[in-house]
Amino acid sequence: MPNWGMKTMTDPKTPSNASPGRDIPAAFDDVDLDVFFAAARETAPDPAPDFMARLTQEALAEMPVAPARAPAAVPGLWAQVRQAIGGWPGLAGLAAACAAGVWIGVSPPTGLDALWGTSVALESLDPIGSFGLALMEG
Amino acid sequence: MPYDAMTDRADEELLAAYATGDASAARALTQRLGPRVFAHAYRMLGGDRAEAEDVAQEALLRLWRAAPEWRMGEAKVTTWLYRVTANLCIDRMRKRRSGPDLDAVPEIADDAPSAAAELQQAARAEALQRALNQLPDRQRQAVVLRHIEGLSNPEIAQIMDIGPRAVESLTARGKKALEALLAGRRAELGYEDDD
Repeated sequence: MPNWGMKTMTDPKTPSNASPGRDIPAAFDDVDLDVFFAAARETAPDPAPDFMARLTQEALAEMPVAPARAPAAVPGLWAQVRQAIGGWPGLAGLAAACAAGVWIGVSPPTGLDALWGTSVALESLDPIGSFGLALMEG
Repeated sequence: MPYDAMTDRADEELLAAYATGDASAARALTQRLGPRVFAHAYRMLGGDRAEAEDVAQEALLRLWRAAPEWRMGEAKVTTWLYRVTANLCIDRMRKRRSGPDLDAVPEIADDAPSAAAELQQAARAEALQRALNQLPDRQRQAVVLRHIEGLSNPEIAQIMDIGPRAVESLTARGKKALEALLAGRRAELGYEDDD
């Protein structure tokens, strides 16, 4: 039978070393509680490993999602061109301008004829045409 | 990552890291706080391992959910956790009709291959746990926090939401009751049959 931590007349501080059968405590209410508290601290209940694993799993499952820390992927050539133009709005504007240019070329508005005159007059804007240059060079 | 590598970081710092999605902080906090919460619940619940696991799991779950809104410097994580754990334990004990189940305290196996000293320590711990089980909830909480967990009176006062003098009073009454209970157990067991 173990010594229960009672203070005894012969060995009040180290009851564990006493011979339990011989030492009758001075009084039953003379209990050294510190001995019991120390024993409780030393024999702290250990949680089971699988329980600890469960706790860890739950901690990770409940953890708020980390903000994306991976570097953004390098954009492709088309994406870079689009970005240089000004994104989708820039691209849409460019497409509209192209369409307008083709439309004006195919079917010029009548108002433009009055402004620029005949097509001959338009040629006069180019004083030295490429054909003329070829002739001059012989 | 070994949790020892984080011993220089305070609980509050780790909790802030946890809130930003740091998995190593989650593991370190679990390893650090899980055993403490479990042990406290185990002692409060009279040595019922299964119930102590349930309480520890619930207390930590609440901590994880409180992490994003945790305000640094307002409360210590351990103080908060001890309070939540004790409240969960007290709720459970109140639901029991006749207090802690004394049979839940594991018996010390006499034929365990332990050294005699270890056996004696285990026997003392078991005797203390049985005596603790007979204390009123608040006295048991105060005595466990002060004399087994080793917390200071001001910290216990915070955990229990009472003044430091009330803590002293609770622990003093608890210790007196424990002395009487253990002396009674001593008388019941007797030394005459020893050797």
